[in-house]
Amino acid sequence: MLVYLEKSGCDFTALVREHQGMVFSIAWHFLHDRSLAEEVAQEVFLGLHRNLGRIESEAHAASWIRKVAVQRSIDEGRRRLRRPQVALEDIPEPASSGRTSDPLLGATLRRLVASLPETPRMVMVLRYQEDWEPSEIAEMLAMPVATVKSHLQRSLALLREKLARRGMGAKER
Amino acid sequence: MDWLEEELRRALAREEPPEGFERRVRQAVARRGFPARRWLAAAAVVIMAVGAGTGYREYRGRVAKEQVKLAIRMAAVSANHIQNHVRGVIR
Repeated sequence: MLVYLEKSGCDFTALVREHQGMVFSIAWHFLHDRSLAEEVAQEVFLGLHRNLGRIESEAHAASWIRKVAVQRSIDEGRRRLRRPQVALEDIPEPASSGRTSDPLLGATLRRLVASLPETPRMVMVLRYQEDWEPSEIAEMLAMPVATVKSHLQRSLALLREKLARRGMGAKER
Repeated sequence: MDWLEEELRRALAREEPPEGFERRVRQAVARRGFPARRWLAAAAVVIMAVGAGTGYREYRGRVAKEQVKLAIRMAAVSANHIQNHVRGVIR
């Protein structure tokens, strides 16, 4: 299927192929639920298809996709708070997710990040998944850069403390 | 960058969605179709329904009109017949 964006001439399928990893991963690391992450990613691309006429360039499409992926993940997280949910500890980690030097540490880190409150969680995902600068995160989440930096520092301190309690701190490494 | 940040980068690295994701997106897009087409189809159904209703009402109106005309003609024939009879009696 070839669907071209009316103004930009971009290929919809190519955009899905190029950005699916980013969209899925933002939702997956934020929600810590792969099937929900896939649903969110699908909705983002369906939204893109509905808004084809407004997209002016590939850069515009990428920025639109990033923004909607972040917002839809936050919305889904809020919706999930209102529904009965499975504890993060009970969700199995997929076998393919072990890229850390220690697979157990990687799984623990993903769980700990997913257990952070909404805003610091998204800040951590954008900083360490997308490698964004605090200023870019601040712009995306409409908050001061100082607040982003403060979320990062506090989240890192909290993760260090929780890892140390589990015997996974720096000294053990 | 310290060890924790490095581990976070590895743990939160991008992942591709499950296999077949792109195909499922294409199917979802095809299922939803184009909104303009859906609106046009819905509008066509409404227009046909309204048109059919209007046509039926017009048909019923024509039938009633014919019935009234027939009744008037029959009444006129009867009145004419009575009038002729009365004239005959007077003469």
